[in-house]
Formats: sequence, structure tokens, C-alpha cells
Amino acid sequence: MTIMEPRKHGSSADGAVGGRLSRFEGRLKITGEAVYALEYPAENLAHAVLIQSTIAAGRVTAVAVDEALAAPGVLMVLTPDEDLGLMVSADWQGNRPEEKPYHPLPREVQFNGQSIVAVIAESREQAEEAARLVRITYEEQQGVASLDDPKAGEGKLLEQLSVAWGDAQAALARSPVRIEGTYRTPREYHCAMEPHGLTAAWQGDQLTIWEPSQWSHGMARMYAEWFSLPVENVRIISPFIGGGFGSKGQPLAFGAVAVAAACRLGRPVRLAVTRPQNFTSYGGRAATRQTIALGATEDGILQAIVHRGASETSVYADVPEQTGAATPILYKVENFSSESRVVPVNTVSPGALRGPGKNPSAFGIECAMEELAYALGMDPLELRLKNYADRDYQSGKPWSTRMLREALTQGAEAFGWARRSAAPRSMRRGGKLIGWGIGCGTFPVIRAPSEAMIRILANGRVQVVSGSIDMGQGTYTILAQTASEALGVPVEQVDVVLGDSRLPGAAIAGGSMLAGSITGAVHKAALAARDELIGLALGEAGSPFRNTGANTLAISEGRISAREDGPSLPLSQLMAAIGREEIEVRRNTLSDDAQSVEDQNKAWTTMSRVQGPTMGDYSMHSWCAHFAEVEVDEDFGTVRVSRMVSAFDCGRLYNPKLVESQWRGGIIMGIGQALLEEGVVDPRNGRTMNANLGDYLVPTNADIPDLQVISVGVPDLNASALGGKGVGEVGIVGVAPAIANAVFHATGKRVRDLPITLEKLI
Amino acid sequence: MTRTIRLSLDINERRYELDVEPRVTLLDALRDHAGLTGTKKGCDQGQCGACTCHIDGQRVLSCLTLAAQAEGRRITTIEGIATANGDLHPVQLAFMEHDAFQCGYCTPGQIMSAVACIREGRTGSDDEIREYMSGNLCRCGAYNSIVAAVREAAEMADA
Repeated sequence: MTIMEPRKHGSSADGAVGGRLSRFEGRLKITGEAVYALEYPAENLAHAVLIQSTIAAGRVTAVAVDEALAAPGVLMVLTPDEDLGLMVSADWQGNRPEEKPYHPLPREVQFNGQSIVAVIAESREQAEEAARLVRITYEEQQGVASLDDPKAGEGKLLEQLSVAWGDAQAALARSPVRIEGTYRTPREYHCAMEPHGLTAAWQGDQLTIWEPSQWSHGMARMYAEWFSLPVENVRIISPFIGGGFGSKGQPLAFGAVAVAAACRLGRPVRLAVTRPQNFTSYGGRAATRQTIALGATEDGILQAIVHRGASETSVYADVPEQTGAATPILYKVENFSSESRVVPVNTVSPGALRGPGKNPSAFGIECAMEELAYALGMDPLELRLKNYADRDYQSGKPWSTRMLREALTQGAEAFGWARRSAAPRSMRRGGKLIGWGIGCGTFPVIRAPSEAMIRILANGRVQVVSGSIDMGQGTYTILAQTASEALGVPVEQVDVVLGDSRLPGAAIAGGSMLAGSITGAVHKAALAARDELIGLALGEAGSPFRNTGANTLAISEGRISAREDGPSLPLSQLMAAIGREEIEVRRNTLSDDAQSVEDQNKAWTTMSRVQGPTMGDYSMHSWCAHFAEVEVDEDFGTVRVSRMVSAFDCGRLYNPKLVESQWRGGIIMGIGQALLEEGVVDPRNGRTMNANLGDYLVPTNADIPDLQVISVGVPDLNASALGGKGVGEVGIVGVAPAIANAVFHATGKRVRDLPITLEKLI
Repeated sequence: MTRTIRLSLDINERRYELDVEPRVTLLDALRDHAGLTGTKKGCDQGQCGACTCHIDGQRVLSCLTLAAQAEGRRITTIEGIATANGDLHPVQLAFMEHDAFQCGYCTPGQIMSAVACIREGRTGSDDEIREYMSGNLCRCGAYNSIVAAVREAAEMADA
């Protein structure tokens, strides 16, 4: 084989914001040198394994541990009999119940697969073997297995999620064309390739935790509250995260167990959650069902939308998967009504999974719109354009930017939509039925403050320092680009240090809010560093630029120069000339009245300063339109996605190469959701029956065709400092309905419950 | 069981003498005993491909291989495919160029599979690449770029 020369990144423009710079930390990942949480060496390490409950509900009456304790290498067995002395932590907003104990290994069992016992031994193998010797006795109670369990009932109405304007029921009744359907999505799981786990080590009252984290500061705060420590005593280290998708934003019960065990043993403890245990150690996307009724005029003008949604939640927390999240804002409609319920069942509390709320919501409304198009005999593209929302009818505010019309028209053009044959079952290729469908998606622009530090070192290198994280979205890369452009140094001269709660605070890498937030902070800090450097160059004795006058100096290509024929030197020489080892500048994007230490700590460790999409003068969202083609084998009912075109409005793209990767990743997860992914629950005992990657199917390479992605966005400076809107979440939203609509077009059969598996088609 | 056995493993053309329990998998031996953490544990059940490495040039799932089974054979991991002076393997470079990864956790396994896939001559078409790379899951969804990278590296190998 030939050895290729290492490639440069192409033109210098690649290093600026908007350039297609290759992944900044890429070399570490392709060589195996990137170190993930469970790979940090620790002296005298002990290993913990979890034992999970095998009943849906009840009480642990006895745990027989003698045999396990006698097994080779076993150091400790933690059971519900032990009070670990923990206190409940505050919620996302920072509200904390007083003096409420927290039992990560509870006596009361609330779901099948709940952690009940932990065994700690010298080696993981020994701990696993001993775990098999532990005998747990339960007093079992009747549980509710799932949303479909007859005992589940209708659940609780969440008033705060009710949305209404106009008179939807009356307008629906008056509409000459009406459709109604009930749409369902099953439990879905993150399945990040890196399973959860952590290594915890105490030094006196200082706690260090190596754990994959989408939010190092928030997780440090929650651990600190559990263990009644000052937050500064807890350090989360997480420079590389093997995928999160919403699952790694908060510490979980197993984390509390490992930290408590490390404290009791006085030695570091590692706990690796097994792949099957990952399915119940934290929640995936809740199962949902929603009924949507649409009313329209005969020429296809929407008159009313009535939405009634429900999602399952746990018996101990109300976590809605908001099936009404996208319903009000995709189309122009004068009469709207939406209500949402949560139905408690014996499951781990659902969590946030890519495109939370918006994703199942779009499945409902985007399938319903195509059903309406077929009822009207109208092209689904035309129906969408005809009912284009000129403003946000829910908030009454104008859009900041909304290029959804362009996404629809340019996507249609690239897809070849005009060649569509309208009738179902009218397109074939080879022996297969061909179907085309559209699905639109949206995700709100969520804004949050962040802090960043820029260091200019004596050797002229620039460090960007932030506690934010990179789980593959590209934080390292876009921060290098941001600093490079703002400071005027080549991107090769920049280093980026991330993923440590001791570093400057940042928004969570979730809700598509990090990139817009942290680029704003880095941009601000880098401009300030540049001003400071120029100020020193003008004022310091020893500088060749001294007293050359303001507004005469520029930094470009890593050199500081006076205009025209004046001196010019690299940053390292300037640093030497002014006698500085380092220049350090720290800036945040909090408002001026929130700069106290307390305000700052709260801002970085809670969601209290996070702003929703309509809190300002505009309604701000990312948008997309997906065009899917499916091939259906009539004999076997198998569906394959044969091509997709997706057009996005995510504002300005900080790095299109990385953005396209994220969009495709979201689309692929959407293909999985449409055709493969389904958490199956045993109705007898609430057990997740397919808790592994062989039975819970995620897309493989062979499931995925070429995916064409198109950007139609324009910079949106209301959304973020540099004009970008969120990228990571929106890609999945609208994919499943595009595929369901294509399957209907191919087969004439409307499948309203995901995934679309062969038995539903034959 | 606390008995350990001494294994002599030939990993990336270096000899490792390891004292491990007989039940220790090759994956755990690499990660926890040899300090070679580039090989990843995604499922420990042979379902995801993250632990792919080579034994005598053939791709294997190291989570389903006992370390003891690999004794006397030539083990290659992600740490062993660049040249001794640090020049990256063409597959590594192609992964970088095509952005064939995001979080990076499945990447070593993907690259080890890709190197073997090319060697096996299974890169005749994009569909063939897709099929023969389907033992390696990527939840970030880099599949299009992985196919492009494998195709390019295969073309370079032919050139």
C-alpha cells in the first residue's frame, strides 16, 4: 500500500469560521490515542458491577450477600440496607428540596432493571462472578408494564402543555375536508457506542470523576449536592465522549454508587455499565401516542388542528415527551388546540433523545398533512407551501429567519419531486414498489450563556480553554476556527482544551444550544485578547510598536504588524519584546447584572439562564425538509430507504463539513426510528426484552443509502453571536414521517405506528 | 477463580507478558492489562464491532476472543497500523479527509475492519463496501463517509 502524505487542510479559508476544516482532534481518534472515561489509569483500582431488579414493582425484602462476600477478590457488597448518606440534588433549574435523602440503591423497586445491589471486587471478572451469587428476595407488587398496559389508564393532563387559539373544534366541524389519525412511537434508546460508566477517586474531600459528560459543570454540581460537598471539590473530566445523544447530561444512580463505594473503600472505583444495563440505567425516548385531526377547505387551506398527545413516564417523575411541540409552528392555522398527558408506568424515567418532543411531534403532524394531501387529491409539496406559516401563530411573533420554503423547493428540485406519479402503488423499479414522501422538521433555537478563556503563550501559540465538551459535534474544531479568525492567527497555531469542570463554564451540549453559546463566548474572549495584545504592543517598553498610535496595528496570519511599511513580527517575538510569558483573557456572555460569583456558578451549573425560542422579539428555530424514496418488496413487505435529499435552514454553518456529518447522523437515526428501532417490553413484568444491540436494531452501514444534504440557511444574528442556529437535533426531525409517507405512496398502506416493520405491510 | 496464567502476546510486533485470569478476553487484556485502550468496548457481546482487531491479519471481535486463544499469533490493533515513524495508514488518512467519524468511539474498530475489508477484496462497489462494513455499528451515523473513505483507500491500494 502507498503511504499518503499527511494532507494540509487546503486553503487558509478552511481555518476561518465557515471553512471546511477537518476535525481538529481527528488524529487522536483515528490512531486510538483519544482517551475516553474508562481508559484513564488509576492506581489500586477496584471494580464495581451492578445488579438490577427483575420485577417491575415491589419491595426488596432481603439480600443474601454472604456467598458473594466470600468469593475471591470481593471487597464490598452494597445493598438497600446501607444508607449511603446522600441527599437529593437540585433539578435542572437549580431548585432543591430540603433535607431529602437519596437512595441510589433503593428498597422500593419502581421498574424492572433498576439498580438494587452493587458488588465491588479487585477485578471486574471477580465482581461479575460474585454478583451471580447474590440472592435478592422481593415482595412483588402489580406493575404497569407500558403505555399499552390496560392498567395504565389515560394518565395526567399537563396543563402547562395545553396550547389553544381560535376555536379549533368548531372550525374542524365546519371544515369540508377532515382527516384524523392516531400515531404511535415506541420506546427508543440512545445506544451511544460508548456505554456509560465512570471511575471515581477521592483525595481527602476532593472528588475526581472520569465520566462521559455532555455538561461537565452541571454534573459536578449534581454530584456535589448528592455528597454534600462544595461544588469546587468535585471535578468531572471528560475530554472525549463516545456519543451521548441526550443520555450523558446528568449523573445517574450508578454514578452515585461508584462514588460512594470509592469513599467507603478509600480507593478508586470503576463502574462499567454493561450494554444490557444501559437500557434501564437511564431513560430513552418515551413511547408516545397522539391523535391529530385536521380540517381544511376543499382547495387545501388548513382551518383547524386538534392534537391530543400522551407519552409514558415513570411512576416517580413526570417527564413528558412533548408530541405537541412541533404541531403549532409548522403551518399557518387560525384555529388550534393541543393537550398532552403523561401516563405513569413502571419504567426508568424517560430522558432526552435527539430532537426530544419535536421528533415524535413531527411524526404526527407530518403524516397527518400527507394524509390530508391524499384526501384532497393534492400534491403534498403544494399543500405544505400553500399553508406556509408567515409567522409563529403560537407566540404571535415574527420568525427571525425561516427558510423552510426554500428547503421545500430546493429539496424538491434536487430530489426530482416533479417527476412523481401521484397515485399510490403507481411507481415501480425492478420488482419493487417505489414511494416518495416528504417530512418537515424543526427545532428551537435555545440560547444560553457561556464563558471562555483565551491564552496567548510565549511561543505565540493560542489556547482556547473551556469546560464545554465535544461528543462528536465538532466543538474542538469550531472553537479553533472561531479563535483563529477573531485573533488573526492560523488555525494550526491554536490549541483547544475542553471537557473539565475546572475550566470556564459552558452551556450543556444538548438542545442544540452549545455551539451558538460557546462560539459567542470564545469570539468575545478572542477579540478581547486581541485588543489586549495590541494595547500591550502600543504601550509596553520594549515593543517595537510603542507609541505608534492607536488604530495602526493589525494581527493577521499570526503576525502583528503596523500598517504600511512599519515593523511586523510573529506573536512569539512580540511576547518576548514585551516580556510576557502569557496573556490570559476570560470573558462570558452573561448580562452585566449577573456577574457575581454566585450568579456565574448558577449560570454554568443549572439551566436557570437558558432562554427559549420566543423569549425575545422573534420566534427562532432551525428548519428542514426531508424527501425520502423507499423500495418495498411486495412479497416480503421489506422496506429499504433507497435515497434521501434533505434541505436545512440552520442559519450560518460554522463548519459545513462537520455540519453535514451531523445532519446525516440525525437522518440515519431517523431511518432507524422509522424502520428498525423499538424497545419491546414484557407485559408480564415490565422487562425490556431486547436490551442489547443484536435485538434492539440500530441502522448498519448496509441500511443507509447516499444521503444528500443541502444548506439553505442564512446567518441569523438574533439566534447567536455568529449567526448559526442549532444543527444537531433538527436532522432527525421529520425523517420518520417522510419515510412513512413514502411507504404509503409505495404501497397504499398507511402505517401510523413506528417502526414500519414487514408484518405491518403484508 | 483467582488463578492467573502468564500469557505471552505478540501485539503490534511487540511482546507483552501478561498475568491474567484465564477467562480474560483479548479485549480486556488489551485495554486493562496491556494499556492499549485504542480498541473499544461497545457491547462486550459481539454485536457492535467496536472491539475489532486483527489476528494473523484477519479481523476478529476481541470481546469474543479469549486472550489465551491469541497466544502465539500476530495481534494487530489500531495502535499498530501506522508506520513506525508515525506515518498514518491510508485508511486512517481517508477517514480523516472524509470526516468518517464523529465521537470517535467506533472509529478504531471501523478502521481495523476497513483495512481488512480492502485486503479481503470486498470493495468492488459501494454496496459491497456497505455490506462488508456492516459488522461495525456507528451510532453517530458516519456511514456515507465511511464508505467514501474505504472506497478511496481501496483505490489507493490498487494504484
